Amino acid sequence: MNELLWYTSRATGVAGIVLLTVVLVLGLVTSGRRAPHGESATVVIALHRWLSLGMLVFLGAHIATAVAETYVSIDAVSALLPFTSGYETVWVGLGTLAFDILLAVGVTSALRHRLAERTWRRVHLLSYAMWPMALVHGLALGTANEPLLRGTTILCGLVGAGAMAWRWSAIHADRERRDAVAAQRWT
Amino acid sequence: MDPLTSLLADAGLTGRGGAAFSTATKLEAARNHRADLVVNACDGELGAAKDAWVVEHHLPELVEGARLVAGRRWVRFAAHLGSRTAERLHRAGLDVLEAPPRYVSSEESALVNLAHGGLARPVTKRQPVARGGRDASGRRLRPMLVLNAETTWRVAQVAANGVGWFRGFGTPEEPGPRLVAVSTPSVRGHVVQTEAGVPLVSILDAVGGLSPDAPAVLVGGLGGAFVPTAAAARLSWSAADLAPHGATLGPGVVEVLDARDCPLEFVDRCLTWAAGESAGQCGPCMFGLPALAADWSAFAGGRDRAAYARIRSRVALLPGRGACRFPDGVAGFAWSALWAFAEHLEQHHAGRCDAAERRHERRHEPRRTDVSGLIVH
Repeated sequence: MNELLWYTSRATGVAGIVLLTVVLVLGLVTSGRRAPHGESATVVIALHRWLSLGMLVFLGAHIATAVAETYVSIDAVSALLPFTSGYETVWVGLGTLAFDILLAVGVTSALRHRLAERTWRRVHLLSYAMWPMALVHGLALGTANEPLLRGTTILCGLVGAGAMAWRWSAIHADRERRDAVAAQRWT
Repeated sequence: MDPLTSLLADAGLTGRGGAAFSTATKLEAARNHRADLVVNACDGELGAAKDAWVVEHHLPELVEGARLVAGRRWVRFAAHLGSRTAERLHRAGLDVLEAPPRYVSSEESALVNLAHGGLARPVTKRQPVARGGRDASGRRLRPMLVLNAETTWRVAQVAANGVGWFRGFGTPEEPGPRLVAVSTPSVRGHVVQTEAGVPLVSILDAVGGLSPDAPAVLVGGLGGAFVPTAAAARLSWSAADLAPHGATLGPGVVEVLDARDCPLEFVDRCLTWAAGESAGQCGPCMFGLPALAADWSAFAGGRDRAAYARIRSRVALLPGRGACRFPDGVAGFAWSALWAFAEHLEQHHAGRCDAAERRHERRHEPRRTDVSGLIVH
């Protein structure tokens, strides 16, 4: 039974990082020069939101099974309070921190219309910190020598990094015009 | 209502900055929200000069008017950076709010934003600025009353001379003396003291009258409308007479166009300049104005027949969708040009332009060639 919990934790962890990377990439393409328009935009945003919820299911299973299994000592508190677990404090802590950020992103997005735009935006930008944390958490704690699992995580890392590089380098013409006007004398 | 507010309500004083809103109503809102005062002496409109004239010739009354309006609250006088008005206000030891020389910077919410240490760009107004608001990043803007310089001067005059004096000028619907800045090809920014109801040509008498050669009269600058010369000769200076041409008394600016200047090129220069004056915040201004300017160039060139339809549809899309009314004004300006210069466009289609012909005939005379000459500081 404990083995089942252990394997489930690992499996849902890998599923989680894959989904998180997909969600990240979908989020990155929503704006920028080659952003989708019209119906495609609706699909992209909808996927971004619904996949993130689906990922929460896998994450929930990942955390629950990690806490429940007795092979290593991770208690329930460590699921929310980072760097408090007995087992691999730093790496598990990174995962906990990433989860905390994810919760913040999720809650602010759900309550988006009740918050100031800049509050939502600043919390959402923490995703740029959350994703690398989750990646490092996965790479460091992946003790299995299974190349497929390790390879999946590394591939997620490459895809995500590539998408981020693309996003940061592709300035939209609107953004350029806006920045050009803002650089004029206005005071 | 306190005594001053009811006095202004009885007099029927409306804003002389362009919107002609009831000054008593604005003042009441300002009093209720304890607003500070900014006296707008920027002369932001193309061809405007009356605010500078008020500061030059009636500064003590202007300061008195500001004092009556603001009481003990903070008063600032807004003028463009480096203008004669700003220098005059500085020399008088007044608190000057210096706005950059941009068209939208003298708009009321732009001045409010600037006064709070931000940029002189308009801010979306969810309520009048006299009640306060928030800028684009959510920072709170304190209530501020922004009054045109001429309006503030009139407040002092009404308080000193009474309602009867004020209503002795103008018409029952548009009472009170008014200033109009008149420009012709040879005279720039001459300020005339007049009132509503007088014939437009009498206002132009001070600068040599209305030349029958002139293609049109531009009433209200870049946010105004063109009135064909034949019609202008019969109009009185009143909202009722100006409305069919899409014009208003507005900020008191009248310009007689140069007969040697092709009106289509004039509009082209104005629209191109307007596109460059965008604050870069709202769609209709950032994208709509450059598109309109490009379409007008194509249209005036005569080669692009579809440009007319594009202009028509764009002009309908621009108004009411920005933080300020700059795109609305330019849309009205372009629309009135389509009507006023339809006949001139036919000339272009036929391959000629009588303005160009006149230019050739009178080529030894000096002429103004760029739109920035319209801005009088």
